[in-house]
Amino acid sequence: MTDSINEQFGQIYDQYIDKIYRFVYVKVDSQEVAEDITSKVFTKGWESYQNQSSEIKNPGAFLYQIARNAVVDHYRDKGRTKTVSVDVSPDIADPGTNAQDMAILSADVSNIKKAMQKLEKDHQDILIWHYLEDVPIADIAKLLNRPAGTVRVMLHRGLKDLKNIIQES
Amino acid sequence: MTKITQKQLIESLKQFKEIKPRKEWAVLLKSQILTEKETVIVSVPAKRINFMDAIASVFSQRKLAYSFAVVLFLIVGVFGFAQHTVPGDLLFPVRKVAEQSQAALTGQSGLKQSVANLNNRINDLVQVAKEGKKANIPSAIDEIKTDASYLTKSLKSSKTENSQTIKDIVSSLKTLADVPGTDLTATPAIKGLYQAVVQSQIVDLQETTLADEQKETLSQAIELYNQGKYTEALEKILLIGK
Repeated sequence: MTDSINEQFGQIYDQYIDKIYRFVYVKVDSQEVAEDITSKVFTKGWESYQNQSSEIKNPGAFLYQIARNAVVDHYRDKGRTKTVSVDVSPDIADPGTNAQDMAILSADVSNIKKAMQKLEKDHQDILIWHYLEDVPIADIAKLLNRPAGTVRVMLHRGLKDLKNIIQES
Repeated sequence: MTKITQKQLIESLKQFKEIKPRKEWAVLLKSQILTEKETVIVSVPAKRINFMDAIASVFSQRKLAYSFAVVLFLIVGVFGFAQHTVPGDLLFPVRKVAEQSQAALTGQSGLKQSVANLNNRINDLVQVAKEGKKANIPSAIDEIKTDASYLTKSLKSSKTENSQTIKDIVSSLKTLADVPGTDLTATPAIKGLYQAVVQSQIVDLQETTLADEQKETLSQAIELYNQGKYTEALEKILLIGK
């Protein structure tokens, strides 16, 4: 039984470690903080999973909820505002764009991340889930417990706000 | 960046898909989390231990240690005291257990152990007689009879007895015979032991090359043996050895 739960959570971990880390990383100012919070998310997730594995129908939603709370706790504990410095620029490349666009986009990753952190929390979450994790609107609606139409509007508004923040910077 | 299209912005956001945690960190975290369960279970009671519990625990452990030390002291004391007991004393059975344990630890054979036991019991009788502990004499004699019977059985069943063992038995029997006021040679147990010793010696001597005089003495010993005069037969056999 114990081995079975270990195995199950091990699979959930493998499936979500990258997603949760990304979700957290975009919202905080450094790799160290992202690792620390992600670690707390999975530790807390594992503790809960051992006691109520049968009640957790959607492990993704379950972990994202813990992650959202953990990020809120992080900023509350540190007494920080959401305007934070970005000291780490991820070494990433986008195969879907041409060379000129890629150069522009790579150089602006830090700025986009910084701008993302100025967005409302729900807008951040929706943009991350939809564009980074390819989560359909309907599923995001379930994650946020809101109508799909509302989520669609929030997605559009979040994108617009992000664009404005970037252009104003 | 002053101007950015929505398409560029979405493409920029999608770049974040490439962000991944350090592989070694992710592997380490997984193993830490999944093996933490046992640690958590073990550490939960520890977290609940307050100062008073810790003090109580120390005293409890000390109490246990003291109890163990007292028990150990008593055991050592009882065994030590029992070494000076004689048959009929309350702690004499403890001494016998200690002797048997010692024999088992030193790997003594059954025959040698029986010889040693009989020798010890005869020495006990000597001591009891010397110290005038009349109340202990019957018990000492009973112990000798019991051990003599065991030794007789061991001697008859053993095919490896050597001359030294026989000498030791003869020596013990001589010591027993010299104890004043306790002639046990007529008792079945001691008589049986004499018979077994003499029989063993006769068999050995018959297979040995003897001088004419020794042969004559052996014939006399056999005759005495056949008459049931085992002590006298043993005296004759001892003459052959000289």
